[in-house]
Amino acid sequence: MTPDELDRVLSSEDELEPSSDLVTNVMAAARSPDAEPPALRFPWLRFAAGVAASGIMAWAGTVLLLRSGPALATVTAPLVPLAAVAPEFGYATTAALLSLGLASVPRLLTRN
Amino acid sequence: MQPVRRALCPMLRAKERPMGNEDQDAECVARVIAGDLSGFETIVRRWQHRVLSLAWRFCRDRATAEDMAQEVFLKVFRSLASFRGDSAFSTWLISIALNTFRSRLRAEGQPLLSLDPDRLFATAPGVLRGLEEHQRAEAVRRAVLTLPKRYRDAILVYYFEERDLAESARVLAVAEGTLKARLHRGRELLRRRCANLGPLAAVVAKEEQ
Repeated sequence: MTPDELDRVLSSEDELEPSSDLVTNVMAAARSPDAEPPALRFPWLRFAAGVAASGIMAWAGTVLLLRSGPALATVTAPLVPLAAVAPEFGYATTAALLSLGLASVPRLLTRN
Repeated sequence: MQPVRRALCPMLRAKERPMGNEDQDAECVARVIAGDLSGFETIVRRWQHRVLSLAWRFCRDRATAEDMAQEVFLKVFRSLASFRGDSAFSTWLISIALNTFRSRLRAEGQPLLSLDPDRLFATAPGVLRGLEEHQRAEAVRRAVLTLPKRYRDAILVYYFEERDLAESARVLAVAEGTLKARLHRGRELLRRRCANLGPLAAVVAKEEQ
């Protein structure tokens, strides 16, 4: 048997006509209470990880602020004059972040 | 009862494939998740030919194929909520079908040609000439089921997907290069096993009587 012949035989497969019972049986099984599709599960694992991460961040931030309050003020000191000279920079950043948030709303709605 | 079969040319099959309806499928999935079962009936009606056709290739027995197809649709129904649309619905569905058929074959064994393939395909010069074309073709298709799983799956899915290498690789979840290698090796094994179809065709003819 040549490769071409093999190819031809495997490509020209007969097909079965589904019996009329197929759809009926499947739908009957789907309608039975056992076949109820599982509801979307709440992502408890991700939720717990998020809560834990937020807690750790809040704790770490508080500790950092309490320990290095004056030092932190020294680091952020150069930003104070910038905010005074160009407050619109802060407004622009806030507007950009809000736009980004609003833009993601349709996507979230589509997912749901 | 004799199975009702239709020999379809590849062009006609391509027309019958419910491709290009991804939006419709997605809409049906959304309806089912929302509790509308008619959406699922639409999915079953649209995909029953494809799923049954693949099932048939894995078992070559009508009753078993129908049973396996039903099992696939129920699995699909239970898993619809987890369909995220990362892949095409067709790829997702055929992957579920493939896994179902593999599990069934693993659990129940090969439905046909479970005898030693070396004996079935033993050399018998002269017998080949007397065979009907369709018997030879059927013998070759059944011989695919005697190949090692990885080659069997590669060949069945590749020809089922009308030689679309990329889609076959996606369904089988392997790289295209891997699939090419498996196809090459599988065809080579198959060609060797079908070098002389005399004894096998006799078996096939006997089964069909």
